[in-house]
Amino acid sequence: MTADAFLFWFLALSTVAGGVMVVSLTNPIYAALSLAFTMVSVAAVFVTLEAFFVAGVQLIVYAGAVMVLFVMVLMLFDLKHEVESFARGKVTGAIKLLAAGLLAGLLIGAILYSSSGELGSSAPQAAAQIDSTKTLGYRLFTQHIFAFEALGVLLLVIAVGVVALSRSKGGTHGKH
Amino acid sequence: MVNTNVFLEIGLNHYLVLSTVLFCLGMIGVLLRKNAIVMLMSIELMLNAVNISFIAFGKYNSNIDGQIMVFFVMTIAAAEAAVGLALAVSIFKRFKEVNIRFFEHLKG
Repeated sequence: MTADAFLFWFLALSTVAGGVMVVSLTNPIYAALSLAFTMVSVAAVFVTLEAFFVAGVQLIVYAGAVMVLFVMVLMLFDLKHEVESFARGKVTGAIKLLAAGLLAGLLIGAILYSSSGELGSSAPQAAAQIDSTKTLGYRLFTQHIFAFEALGVLLLVIAVGVVALSRSKGGTHGKH
Repeated sequence: MVNTNVFLEIGLNHYLVLSTVLFCLGMIGVLLRKNAIVMLMSIELMLNAVNISFIAFGKYNSNIDGQIMVFFVMTIAAAEAAVGLALAVSIFKRFKEVNIRFFEHLKG
């Protein structure tokens, strides 16, 4: 077995195992740690796809910032025991699982059915991608500059809104 | 012959199937769990699955715009996590729990 095939299967296994643990563990701290594991695995998948800069950003933003946010909120809540961690009702739960499995089967079937196009299994040569970070920055600041600035405005609005929301007394029920 | 090729030659389809599996895991989490924070984590899983498919398509098309779209998705995901966690903190201050059934009392 070649090295990249082994790497892909290993990363796919760790990613899916982390996702399963996020969904199935009832302690939210364990779920958060599994989510961090999944994020690191996804960053490694990005490295195998030669998107090195995006992999670094994934590690910094997701495995760093977002996970710290989740874990800090969980520790603020002090959630040790969860009374109802899963939805009640075995029939509706089975229907939900069936729907998700059906969607997965449908998507995988569509992928395998439409796989004979010009996007074959052969990867393009690596020489075209060797300078991808420079190209990425150039395209981001020339062609997509409006979306970039709009994202800056959105982040400012989100920051102000979150501070205002968390400073309001009593949360959503101010006076009662 | 065909089976060994499927396991040995990694192509676009492998990454797309991985993305699909991860997306459906996140969907199961959103549907089945009742803790609001775990639901937010499952939404992050779904967004990561979409990011994998973006980057895989971008590589196999030799198009850098997939990675730019991943930047935008990451930013939106971070903003969404911040807003969702602030709402969860508000709910927790009032009800001392973050179960999703308390979100039906939101008003005023």
